[in-house]
Amino acid sequence: MDLQITTGEGKTFATLKGRLDTTNASQFQQDMAPLMELEHPDIEIDCSDMEYTSSQGLRLFLMLQKAVSLKNGNMVMKNMRPEVKEVFDITGFSNIIKIQ
Amino acid sequence: MRNRCPFFSGMMENYGLDAHCSSILEQYRENMLLFAKLESLVRDFLQQAISEKGVLINALETRIKTEASLVGKLSKKGAKYADVFDLTDIVGARVITFYTDDVDKISGIVDKVFKVDWVNSVDKRNMHDLDSFGYNSLHYICSIPESLFSDPSWPEINNVRFELQMRTALQHVWATLNHDIGYKAGVEIPSVYVRNLNRLAGVLELADEQFSAIRMEINNYRFNVKSLVSSGKFEDVPLNADSYASYLELQPFDRLLRKVAAINQAEIYDVPLSNYLQVFLQFGFRTIADLNSFINRNSESAYRLAVFQIADTDLDIISSSVAPRNLCLVYLLRNGAGVKEIKKFYDTVGGESDHNYELAERLLNTASNIPFLNK
Repeated sequence: MDLQITTGEGKTFATLKGRLDTTNASQFQQDMAPLMELEHPDIEIDCSDMEYTSSQGLRLFLMLQKAVSLKNGNMVMKNMRPEVKEVFDITGFSNIIKIQ
Repeated sequence: MRNRCPFFSGMMENYGLDAHCSSILEQYRENMLLFAKLESLVRDFLQQAISEKGVLINALETRIKTEASLVGKLSKKGAKYADVFDLTDIVGARVITFYTDDVDKISGIVDKVFKVDWVNSVDKRNMHDLDSFGYNSLHYICSIPESLFSDPSWPEINNVRFELQMRTALQHVWATLNHDIGYKAGVEIPSVYVRNLNRLAGVLELADEQFSAIRMEINNYRFNVKSLVSSGKFEDVPLNADSYASYLELQPFDRLLRKVAAINQAEIYDVPLSNYLQVFLQFGFRTIADLNSFINRNSESAYRLAVFQIADTDLDIISSSVAPRNLCLVYLLRNGAGVKEIKKFYDTVGGESDHNYELAERLLNTASNIPFLNK
């Protein structure tokens, strides 16, 4: 899983690429640390190239969402592939994380 | 002596006060810091106590009597005061509530926090004749007990009295307008206007009573709904935000949720389920009994849908919304819902999105392969 983070116009843009599963969840957690530490988070995550997420991935997105909510910030996941969105749907995570 | 103000010193004769009143005025100036400290303490202690008791108020105001106001009072009845501490309203506080019964709650709080001088305190709310209306307010004369505040730097502060007024917002509006119109003009008001002001006081008194009565009725309604729901009399309870909240306390989705979680030994992440009320109302459910029956009739199918969707995955975390989600989806599918209706469901619970079309389409494709949904 590749994570690229850029900033602009007061927002933080993250781009996900590949599969997020047990083999790379720990690395992904380290990579997303800058997003967790944002003072006024307004994060847009582009998921168009995200191929899959396992439960570990869901837990990490949940952790990030909680950190953002604690700071009254905003986080939205965009352009999610239908098969990935289905994972969020059948686990009820589409009610927790804003998906556009 | 604190905060003696040289500017005012020697100017008392300009007010035309006699020697006795002038000396009271001088005491007032000398003790200005003491009054300011008292005002600050009264405000802080009141704020804290009211907040701790959770009473929602409209405003808390405090003030120190202005020199002009004191001079006016002394010039009218200065002889009755031995010194400035005989005046009980140099420091004043006012608590303005929304409801009449909250005035009593505030008075109870004040009684516990401060030392109340009952001899000089007045309940003007009960002082009107049967055929008159007018200013309603509860006035307490108080001081700060040493048990609440004691500081060697302010040895005299516990003996200084202050006035505390408690009234509703409507009483406050009337009192302020009446004072503005009736007193500040400095001319005698014709009786017809006084009568009109008093008629208005009567209307506001009725409005105050109505607000309190409505609040009590709503509280009683909520209590009754809660009792009916907890005793299982669902058919008597209309489905609305209050009854749904009470119903959720019975954890009606819990059995299904735990069964679904057991499929993959999944961890359950609790989320609020309030957004599903809108869906249930869209389904046409009118009572809690309708909702309860919907859960009972669709739970097995909702579980089987979950088995179909997650049993062959490694997903071992689910949110608690999975239970109502699956119940709603099997209900929709069994009732012949198409993409449009399923998208509407997704839009309602998760926010409107064009991607919900794809989700709805995928669900319909999946459902076409699930025999029990196509019977």
